[in-house]
Amino acid sequence: MDKKSVDSLVKRVVSVFAEIFPQHQYLYFPLISAALVWGIRRPDAWREQILSWEIWPDPEFIPTKPDAFILAFFENDPDLVKIYRSEIKKKDLDALREAFIRLYPLLGLEDPFLSALFTTELETKKYRDIVRAFDARVDQARADIAALKSRPKFLEALKTLAEELSALSAALLSQSDVQRSLEKLIKIQIKETDV
Amino acid sequence: MSKKLRLLFSLFRIVIFVMGFFSVQACVSHLKEAKFFYAQGEEFARAYQTQEAVASFKRALQEAGRETESNPSAQAYMLKGLAQLNLEMWEEAKQSFLLAHSFGFDKGEEWASQLTLFGLATTLQEMGLAEPAARVFKSLLDKSKFDPVTRLAAQSYMKLGLDKALQSERQEKEKQLRDLLKTADKLIVRNFSCGFCHYLQSQVFSHLSEFGHSFESAVIAKEIGLPTEQIGRDNDNQIVFCYQKLKETLDSVQWSDFESLYQEWMARWGWEDPKRPPWKKR
Repeated sequence: MDKKSVDSLVKRVVSVFAEIFPQHQYLYFPLISAALVWGIRRPDAWREQILSWEIWPDPEFIPTKPDAFILAFFENDPDLVKIYRSEIKKKDLDALREAFIRLYPLLGLEDPFLSALFTTELETKKYRDIVRAFDARVDQARADIAALKSRPKFLEALKTLAEELSALSAALLSQSDVQRSLEKLIKIQIKETDV
Repeated sequence: MSKKLRLLFSLFRIVIFVMGFFSVQACVSHLKEAKFFYAQGEEFARAYQTQEAVASFKRALQEAGRETESNPSAQAYMLKGLAQLNLEMWEEAKQSFLLAHSFGFDKGEEWASQLTLFGLATTLQEMGLAEPAARVFKSLLDKSKFDPVTRLAAQSYMKLGLDKALQSERQEKEKQLRDLLKTADKLIVRNFSCGFCHYLQSQVFSHLSEFGHSFESAVIAKEIGLPTEQIGRDNDNQIVFCYQKLKETLDSVQWSDFESLYQEWMARWGWEDPKRPPWKKR
């Protein structure tokens, strides 16, 4: 991936976002991250993938996964084993299922929007905090995005981002590598925009 | 608003155009007005202008209501029901859809008829009436020739079925899952190239702990393609889950056969690690 091109693209998009919704800086990283990942993987479907997140969760079958699948999800992750040791030991599927519904989209499906929305908790592995904050934070983001969508400039900025990113060879890097660089870049741009 | 409702409204837009709902011949004044305001509400809703959308749906409801009083028809009740759905008037919407269906649709209007039934089932589901909703979804699965409705009905029916099975005792659960499997089989017989149907089948096999079958269905789903990236990723996770389960349960000869087959699929998909699809964090 050409770092300079991405830098300049992110700079432009952040400055447009700052103009359109300066009070919602917390959404810059999730939105750009989703545009990056979905834009690269399915360039023609950027609008559907980026803007349809508000109808999350998808797939609808997350709450009805078999007990064995849920147990395996927790048991295969050493950090989850540590945090949910007691529930796993007791095979408390009610509690595990409640946590699974919120953690699986992040840790299992690595949804780029949600991963970016909970980036701090993911970095510090505070998974119980994610479960507690999940519904409220997602509802808030959903409401904020819904309000923004009526602004043509917002859609235009996302479209440009998805199209330009898909033209870069960013697919060569892993999603997490790209997201890490992107987070740094966006933070720098936000600071510069604030100044 | 739920995903299903959004899809339903999108389908309704298609039906409006396909059936020429806006043609002058087909319309009398209140019906025409109702269609106009309903379409306007849809436009506002798509642009996330919620207040304007609500106002338009209220006008559509008013006009459709007048039409049902002066000249009741399936179309008028369907429009009334859809406006009520948009306004989240579940009980009223249910009545309108039932009345629309009781009037019957003309030849060539099967799509509208199926859409009305789908609207009714969705309304029942929103009202928490899972059993009757499941019956209507099932009937649509058996009769619908309109692929988008069939797929949505399949998804809803399977979801309701799995919800119910999860709350049932062991024997009853097994029976319910076998019934769901029959439904998935039927869908696949009707349309083998439906990747999503194979995905559904894989999910049900997984509930039955038939991991070999679940794996096969998930592989077919992956090969055919799935409607969204998230469902694709969930399907990849299902493949990995089956791999792990089969490792625990197969004897050494069976495992060796399976593993060599798995290696072939991995090579085809570009996976380097049997438990980690490439999109997963390293």
